[in-house]
Formats: sequence, C-alpha cells, structure tokens
Amino acid sequence: MTKFLLKRILQMILIMLTASFILFVIFDTPEFKKRLAVQELGGFAVSALTDASYESWLEKKGLNVPFYERYSNWIGAVVKGDFGFSQEKNREVGPLLWDKLKKTGILAFWVFALMIPLSLVLGVLAGMKEGSLQDRSVSFISVFFTSIPEIATAILLTVFLALGLGLVPAKSAMISGFDWKALVLPVLTLVIYDFGYVARMTRASMAEVMTSQYIRTAILKGLPYRRVIMKHALRNALIAPFTIIVLQLNWLLSGVVVVEVFFEYDGFGKLLLEAALFPDIEVVQACTLVAVLVAVLSQIISDIGYTFLNPRIRFS
Amino acid sequence: MSNNRLHPKVKEAQKMMDDGRMDRRAFLRVATLLGVSAGSAYAMSGLVQPADAAGHGNMPFAADDPNAKAGGILKVGMDIQKMDDPATYSWSEMSNQTRHTLEFLTITGTDNITRPMLVDGWEASDDLKTWTFTIRKGVKWHNGDELTAEHVKFNIDRWMDPDLGSSNIGLSSIAAMLEDVGEKKAMVEGSVEVLDSHTIQLNLQKPVLSVPEDFSNYPTSIVHPSFKAPFSDNPLGTGAYELVELVVGEKCILKKKADHDYWGGQVYLDEIHYYDFSAENSLIAFSGGEVDTIIEFGVEQLEFAKAIEGTILTARTSQTLTLRMQVDQAPFDDIRVRRAFSMAIDNAAVKPLVYPEGGDIGANYHVAPIHPEHFDIPVPARDVEGAKALLAEAGYADGIELTIDIGNTDGPWHQTVVEAVRDQVKDAGITLNINVLPASKYWEIWDKTPFGATSWTHRPLGTMVLSLGYRTGVPWNETHFSNAEFDAALDEAEATLDVEERRAKMEKVQKIMQDAAIVCIPLFRPLYSIVNGSVNGVSMHPTKFHLFNKVWKA
Repeated sequence: MTKFLLKRILQMILIMLTASFILFVIFDTPEFKKRLAVQELGGFAVSALTDASYESWLEKKGLNVPFYERYSNWIGAVVKGDFGFSQEKNREVGPLLWDKLKKTGILAFWVFALMIPLSLVLGVLAGMKEGSLQDRSVSFISVFFTSIPEIATAILLTVFLALGLGLVPAKSAMISGFDWKALVLPVLTLVIYDFGYVARMTRASMAEVMTSQYIRTAILKGLPYRRVIMKHALRNALIAPFTIIVLQLNWLLSGVVVVEVFFEYDGFGKLLLEAALFPDIEVVQACTLVAVLVAVLSQIISDIGYTFLNPRIRFS
Repeated sequence: MSNNRLHPKVKEAQKMMDDGRMDRRAFLRVATLLGVSAGSAYAMSGLVQPADAAGHGNMPFAADDPNAKAGGILKVGMDIQKMDDPATYSWSEMSNQTRHTLEFLTITGTDNITRPMLVDGWEASDDLKTWTFTIRKGVKWHNGDELTAEHVKFNIDRWMDPDLGSSNIGLSSIAAMLEDVGEKKAMVEGSVEVLDSHTIQLNLQKPVLSVPEDFSNYPTSIVHPSFKAPFSDNPLGTGAYELVELVVGEKCILKKKADHDYWGGQVYLDEIHYYDFSAENSLIAFSGGEVDTIIEFGVEQLEFAKAIEGTILTARTSQTLTLRMQVDQAPFDDIRVRRAFSMAIDNAAVKPLVYPEGGDIGANYHVAPIHPEHFDIPVPARDVEGAKALLAEAGYADGIELTIDIGNTDGPWHQTVVEAVRDQVKDAGITLNINVLPASKYWEIWDKTPFGATSWTHRPLGTMVLSLGYRTGVPWNETHFSNAEFDAALDEAEATLDVEERRAKMEKVQKIMQDAAIVCIPLFRPLYSIVNGSVNGVSMHPTKFHLFNKVWKA
C-alpha cells in the first residue's frame, strides 16, 4: 500500500514537471512574449516602440532572463509555496487560485450531491431488468441528455428558466454577494450533462451482476426480490460506478470551463480560460498543477476504493 | 482661460461665420480648439448649448439639474481589467475605471467638441507650434496637494519615456516633441516648459492642430508625481471618486471621496460600481436588472435590446474597419490588384447588411462624414467587369486567391463585414479566404500582415487618423503607404484652422487616398448602449468615455 502510494506520488511529480516544463517552453517563445506586450500595452503602443525600447520593456518585466533560470526560479518558489504573481489580475496567484477553487468546490459539491443519487437510482432501476420498458426509457433519457453539449443545455435552461419564467438569474456573477439561486443553472447544466453517463455505467454493471450465478441462486432459493437487490446485487453492482464517480471529479475540473464562462461564474474554469488567453503564465502553471493533482488524486482514491470494495483485487 | 487674447483665427472664423461661409457648428469647433471656452463659443455662434452636451460654461460637465437627487449606486456592466499604469492603458474601458478618479487636461464631449478639464484654457501660437495651457486653479489631489504645472510636466515627460511603452508616443502632439536618440526616441530638450505654477508651454517641432484633442485621449490621464504602478495599489487622484475595490475580471467599486474639496462642483452618485459580465453577456445581465447600464452592445444584439425595457443610446462615430493592403507586398504592390478589389465591392450594400440602422457608408478614404472637415467624395460605383479587366491586365485572368487576417478585435461585426465583402468580390474572380485570429493574436500582427482588417477608433478630427496611420514612415502606418504628394497635402490641411478652407484642402488628401486603393473602408459604425429608466444624464460617447459627474438616479 505504501509502495503503491509512493509510486503514484512520484508519478504525479513527474507529470507536473513535464507539464510545467512544456508550458514554460511554449510561453518562453518570442511570440508569446510579444503577445504579453500587446496585452499589457496594446497593439498600437507596441508597434510604436523601437526594438531597443521593446528590449527594455522585456527587461523591466523580467522576461529577458534565460529560460532555464526562470524555470528553476519558478520551481524553487513553488516548492516554498509561492505560486508567483498574476500579470493579468495583478494579484498573488496562491490566494487568487484558492478563491476560485473554493467557488468551483461549491459548484462541484452540488453537482455531485444531485448527480450521484439520481444516476445511481436510475442506473440500478434500469439494470435490474435488462430489456424492460423501464430499462429502455432510462437508457433513452441517459443517452439523450448526455449527447446534448453543455453549451446547448446552458442556453436552453437560460431561455426557459431565467429569461422566460424569471425563476433564477440568467448569469451567476453574483455581483451582490453569494446567491443560491444563481447556482441553479450552472449546477443543473452540469448534472444534466453528466448523470446520463454515470447512469449508463451503473446500468451496465447492475445488468451484469443480475445475470451472475449467485443472484440466480438467490432468486431460485426464493429470497424476496427486494432483498436480493438490496442485500446481494447492489454491493457488487456499485463497485464500478464508484470508480467512475470519483473519476468524474477530474472531468468536472475541465468540464466547468464552458459552464463557468457561459454563466460568468468566477471559478477555476473561467480563471484557466482567461489565463490561457492572456497569456498569464504563472496562473496557467498553477492551474495545471492543480489539475494534475486532482487527476492523480482521483485515480488514487478510485484505485484504493476499488481494492477495498472488491476483495478479488489486491495491491500489486 | 485667456479671454483677453483671441487667436486671430478665431476672429477670422467668426467673420466667416457671420458672412455665412462657415456653419455655426464648424465655428464652434475652431473656436474651442483655439482656446475659447465652449460656453463662450456657443454664445459667439448663437447656437444654444445642448443641455446634455457634457459641458457648460467653462466646465466639462453638464449644468446641474434642479430635479437631481443625490445618493444611490450606479451599476455598470463593463470588462474589468487591471489598473496598472494609466499611461499604458490599451482600452477605453480601462480609462473608464479610473476616469472618476484620475482626470484629463481636456475632455471631448459626446457632441465631439473638446473642452478644458484640468486646464481652464489654452492658447496656440499662430504657427501652431507653441501651445500654452493654463492649469485650472483650486484642483486638489485626494491628499490635499494642489495640482500645479510641475505635476502636468511630470506626466507629459513620463509619456515620452522611451521605455514606458505608452501609446501616447504615437499622438501627433507628443510625436512633435520627440527625436531619435540612438536606437530610441526621446524628448527634444526644452519641449515642455513650466512658465509659472499654473502655466505650461509646449514647444513642438512642427505645427499640430489637435493638441487639445490629444490630451483627451484615454491614456493621458494625469497622475500625481508620487505615482508608482500599479495605480490600484495607491489610487491617488483629483476626481470626485476613489477606488475602494478592484477584482480584475469581476468588479471595480468607486466611492465618493469623503472630505475632498472637489473642483468640479456637485456630484450626485454615492458609488459607481462596474461589473464584468464579458461583452456578450452584458445585455443579458442588463435585461435581468443586475446593472443600470452597460458600456455597449453589438449590433447582433440590437433586436434583443429592442425587446427589453430600457432606453437605447446611440452614437455616430468615425470608428471603422479598414481592409488594408501593404503596398510593398505582392500581390498588393500592383495597384491594379488593389483597385480591382475595391471596384468589386459595393460599399453601400455592405453597410446595411452589417448595420441596418445608423452608421455611415465609407468611401475608401479614412475620413468619416462626422468629421468637421470631411469632403464628400462619393465612392465609385461597383464595377465587376472593370475589376476583372484590371485583374487580367495584372496577370490574373483566371482570378486571384487572397487571404485576409481578421481579429474581431472589437466585436464579431468585423467578420460580418469581411464575409459580405468576400461574397461580393467573388463575382470578379477574387477568392477571399478569411483567416480569423484571436483578438490578442491579431494585435501582434496588425501592422505586419500583408492583408488585414484593422479597427480604428473614433478621433474628433479627420486629419488626426490620417496623420497617425498614413503619413510616410509613421509607426502606425500599417499599409506602408508612402506618398510625398499626400504628405504635403495633409500638411497643408493640418495647418489650416478654418474648417471650410481645410475641407477644400481635404479634397486632394482624400482623393489621393481613394485613388491609391490602399484601404477598403466600407462603413463607419454606430455605437449602441442601453440604460434603464431610473438613471438620468447618461449618453453614449463616440469613444465610450464615461463621465458620471452629473448623473443621478431617481
């Protein structure tokens, strides 16, 4: 177990080093420096600068320092917990990122709180009797909703619930403080997109369990159907969905970009997009670290959880 | 204000107006340009000063409304960017965040007339090479210091720092104080002279007409000599409001400065809040009642705007998109190719496709009908056969394939224009590929690509943008156009104060530009914004400036 964890953490550090290195290489090109200058000073100002003045500007911003020096400085700072400074937002990256992560955390919490029970119940109901009307309708609904892109759901929900019925605010910028109602549309959009996939997976797993020998035996023994499902089938059927649900954490981190940008919800996804467009390198770097961390962590959790839930698997 | 000396040209202009040779509005412009206060100029012209003309008497603000109620918060939807160094601002939006804290020497009103703000007047020498500005008395900084000529000199010197990267270096007036020193541009010694505590003199290397207009440009706000970037860390200004909170990409909160002896009279609003919904979402936020007004909305949202409650504001401007070609790059080095391209386009048909309401049709020279000295040369009629013949002559009998770079830098309307043009030039055998770049990417190559669509903002005078963008060798000359005859004709027009005479001289300038076919300018666009019924005194400015001193909420 310890060996397994150490291996995974080592793996994570390697991924982080590789990803940040690649990003640094990309952002260190003259084109990206020029883009930063254009963002800071404007296209008209940059073209009015002489080459010598442009060099002085790069020097003032610390951009003419050799690449390896900047990269090693950055690593040194990150190890000490200093994520650098955002050129675009004029703020320390650490607290900035923390603020946005908290907001995305709230969003993620509600998405999971709704999505997990909904998709598990639907998936189990469908998988119980493969091929039944119940199964077909759940499958149809799942596939239908999963195939609508988030952006389309977002627009439809805005038109119906916000602009049409006026039940909730159209945008979730929450300019006058935190507002639960403004959370409704982004959460719904994500749940609608995601529940179908998890429900389908749960259905497949449940259907497989229902065909296994021991369930047939239990039914033939005359156990009440309800008890067969609750006591015998569920435990085994939920192993696979558990893994998938934990991995949804990773999906959510990238899935929120569209939803947060559309609804103007100031979380991690919107920050990442803005930083990438700017280009605000230290923010992009910090966001990448977080994304890698979440990806690896969710894999570790799902692997460990799977091993605990499924006695047939052992750490190797 | 130097009321004791009228520039000789003012008397001349007044005479012309009296003789009926100059219209009253044109007179207003000449008179205010030469240092007559807008109030006096309106009086001399016999025109009634409009109530909301953003100026009254010698003040840049509208007169106090007797019904006005003090208090309240004005909420505005606008992109919120960092407030680093006001001299390097690259968008009007940024200057709006500081406009109620940091003020300008002059300000161009919504009526396109420039009025004194932190100065109370100016005087130009007859050759337009020496300009004297008197600083308004009693302007206080938030820390109690009084604004002096030294402070103003500090700012002008700063703009000319070759390493600062301010776009002000490109302004005609500032460029006329610069010389090449080694590989950089630096100020000519003695260009900015402090005559006394409240008088400053600019000594230019060549005549410039638009000095007051230049000082209203958005990166020219006046900062305190103790200034250190970023401004948001130490927001010291002369304005009636102070910055209390800034979160880039979210909000910018301004509050009426307590215990501040403000020079500009009464202001009504307690607070001004800017919120960032990103451009395409602002109107939805407005319709949901989250903000009272927004900085602007695009023409693609006009029908939506009409369907919601609120008053739509419009501004006629000289903002445009230039489909410009570099005259030293193949195939655009062949004037026949450039001419054929223009000939294949029906400008009058493009405008209504993009802007069904408002706006002006362009005629392929960069002067707009709203400019006082605009000489009306109609755009030649579309001639597809002529275009084909020209192309054949140039060796493209089987048609030609061109690629234009566009960045939609101020909205998707750029793409609509270029797509309309693409469909038209097809008839003449020109295949136009549209290469859409992200806005920031476009600004990297805007002056480098052989063929691109660049947006140019509104400038109050027609000669200003010609000087900035089309003179031989100027930094913003994106077409690489170099024509001695054009330069000389423009020099002559710029040295002519009288608008009627200048307009006559503009005929030659505009004609040369149109004939050279270096740019295709299908239209000049209008601006739209919207405001709800509780807000009084907001109007749309042709460069989106906000000035909320006399705005109040019912």
